[in-house]
Amino acid sequence: MEAKYDFERKYREQILRCSRCGFCQAVCPVYGATLRPGLNARGKMLLLKEVMDGRIDLSDELIETLFQCTTCASCTHNCPSGVQVPEIVKTARMDMVNIGSCHPAFTGMNEVLKKHPNIYAEDEAEEFGREKKRQAKYVFFAGCVGLYRETEATEAALAVLDKLKVDYTLIEEVCCSGVLEDVGFPLNDALVQTNIDRILATGAEAVITGCPYCARTLNNKPQYAPLRAQGVLVMHIAQFLQDYDLGVHTHKKVTYHDPCDLGRHCGIYEEPRQTIRKLAPNFVELPHHHADALCCGAGGGVRGAYAKNSIDMARRRLREVEETGAEVVLTECNSCVHNLGNAKLRKQKFTICTTTQFIRDLMEEAG
Amino acid sequence: MLDAQIKDALIRIVGQQNYTDSLIDMVSYSYDASEHRARPSCAVWVENTAQVSEVMKLADREKIPVTPRGAGTGLSGLSVPAHAGIVMDLTRMNKILELRIEDRLAVVQPGLVYADLEKALAPHGFFFPPDPSSGKVCTMGGTVGTNAGGVKGAKYGTTRDYVLGLEVVLADGRIMRTGGKTIKNVSGYDLTRLFVASEGTLGIITEIALKINPKPTVTTTAMASFNDLEDAGRAVSEVMRSGILPSVLEILGRETILAINQNTDLKLPEVDALLLAETDGYTKTETEFQMETVLEVFRRNNPGMVKLATSPEEAAQLWTARKSAYAVLARIKSHFVLEDVTVPIGKVPALLKGIQAIAKKHEIQIATFGHAGDGNLHPQILYDGYDPEQVRRMEAASDELFKLAIELEGTLTGEHGIGLSKARYMTLEHDAVSLEMMRTIKRAFDPNNILNPGKMALDAA
Repeated sequence: MEAKYDFERKYREQILRCSRCGFCQAVCPVYGATLRPGLNARGKMLLLKEVMDGRIDLSDELIETLFQCTTCASCTHNCPSGVQVPEIVKTARMDMVNIGSCHPAFTGMNEVLKKHPNIYAEDEAEEFGREKKRQAKYVFFAGCVGLYRETEATEAALAVLDKLKVDYTLIEEVCCSGVLEDVGFPLNDALVQTNIDRILATGAEAVITGCPYCARTLNNKPQYAPLRAQGVLVMHIAQFLQDYDLGVHTHKKVTYHDPCDLGRHCGIYEEPRQTIRKLAPNFVELPHHHADALCCGAGGGVRGAYAKNSIDMARRRLREVEETGAEVVLTECNSCVHNLGNAKLRKQKFTICTTTQFIRDLMEEAG
Repeated sequence: MLDAQIKDALIRIVGQQNYTDSLIDMVSYSYDASEHRARPSCAVWVENTAQVSEVMKLADREKIPVTPRGAGTGLSGLSVPAHAGIVMDLTRMNKILELRIEDRLAVVQPGLVYADLEKALAPHGFFFPPDPSSGKVCTMGGTVGTNAGGVKGAKYGTTRDYVLGLEVVLADGRIMRTGGKTIKNVSGYDLTRLFVASEGTLGIITEIALKINPKPTVTTTAMASFNDLEDAGRAVSEVMRSGILPSVLEILGRETILAINQNTDLKLPEVDALLLAETDGYTKTETEFQMETVLEVFRRNNPGMVKLATSPEEAAQLWTARKSAYAVLARIKSHFVLEDVTVPIGKVPALLKGIQAIAKKHEIQIATFGHAGDGNLHPQILYDGYDPEQVRRMEAASDELFKLAIELEGTLTGEHGIGLSKARYMTLEHDAVSLEMMRTIKRAFDPNNILNPGKMALDAA
């Protein structure tokens, strides 16, 4: 029988390989927040298996689970059968959209990006008072969260680059649109082309970004291949900073939250730690770290579509910060900062910020 | 679908947010880690004993099947709702109610995850010794319901040896306490043990009093290869006779070794059997003394290689082969059945040989690993579930495997339970009188047969 959907054509073998052992339940953040096995990776694979077996069909009834996955890949990391759950979920979301079943938040996001250059439908981006569109060695790409929500993080990153006398420029950037593929839609070609054109116009040899998700999109998506063809490297600012001697130190107790997009998805664990250990010798790991790190709950569109569960996931992560007694929790993702910040309770006195924000503050203190 | 009035009554008991009949949940609750499947009519997330009791009263009155469920990691279909009805998910009753180290006592709710109990006991230097492979995710209710074992069975026994008392909700909603909180207790019939491994067919366990042990702080690990299964078997028997009880004595059979080598870079010696041994205690002298006895036995029995780990890293390396077995085998074919036949320890080699012969006869891949130290092996039959011919061969091989285990004075199941998978083999192991007594007990506890019906061949006339 011919496969009806793309998820089956691409991933039938993998879905069948799920042995239903349930080990993903131990690590799935959505399960952790809801204790509802139908929302866990195994629950999703079982539904897709029943679709392949013709027992059920894709429909609106599946929205709540198929569109509620942070794509954090904790399940895949712990799966004895090696099932690539985030990729399967993303493909199934596209199949859902194709039959007209989608969470309204994501239909909305796709519409917004047809009319606006960012996911928030904002018309005015924060101005950072730096030159744009000039010829430079590097382009700094802030990403939507960095331009419209966590602007402090972006300002700090730019201040650190200024201090280090890095030859960079900003551009009139638009949403990389990578998030669309996460929530069931193809990348937006017009936005992609705009970014490619504007990056190439600067003659830069590399793009530095504060957003691990933008880094993944620009690095890996075929639509951004022209950048690679022109030899333009894309790196996260944590990679860029690792070899610098920043010349600032603190005695504060500091911990680090691995963003899923930088850690499990890109394998970048040590670069940020190398920098942080130089700044803050009193560094402690969270109970779950590196590939076992807990998701902040923001990814895969979950923050927008299932806000309460998203906050619950962030709270679980913040309880771990409390356990360590750290005064500062650093991370390398604006989106993590945003979600963890939203979830923080008044009694939790620690600071949440990006590593570059922390560096900027230390530099300012040092004068 | 349930009658609307019954649905309303359930919602009145557990609250709207703790009731579901949505497709997402119904499909998810149709399965466990076995190949069985049956869709329930609805599910409830119970939060306390009173809710469990009220749900049971309603279900008993209306004669609706109720299937209790923890993490759903069972391998025999125990929590698959074979007769539909209500799935009762107990994972939200997940608290540790009491931890009294000096009494060697932990009182827990059934939804508590095994690993969370371990985490709570660790700072006190204590542990709950049965060490099921699914410990990161399985619940204590399921652990008791199946009498779960693990790699440490040889020295530490199984869950049964640690359950002191229970709170159970009966089929008609009455609440019963069994046993107590003492290490010793011979007061009345041992109803506690009756519920261990009862697979949710006699009542819903809502509270568990467990005995806990101080955790040995030092281990020594070694591995040996044997070109001949007979030698490996003799080595196992001699270790068990030597006066030393290793905390772990695991075996990997040839098919498993080959599969691991084809799928990893471990480069294991391609022999008939690998034995992995661990001794535990409180000083290095103690564990090494025990291990020396084990190694002497290995050396006497024509080993290929014998490796003693000299650091925790080396010990971890030796464990890698055993730990990777499940994952490697899970990837080879689209379907597998993981059996858990168990024989007297001296008959492990005969069982391994018999399994090889069965695989050959039915032209099907069976990879075996398991707990040589307690006679519990895991033959994993690999097949394509979409190929009727392979399914037929898998079933024929299973039939013979169970017959073989019984012929060797063994049992159908050492730790996974009967459930649906082995219900039809019950008569192989249990005589007619014993089966009738089991059914009499079932009828006494559950006259309307609403508790996890269809399991353990208890429904048969």
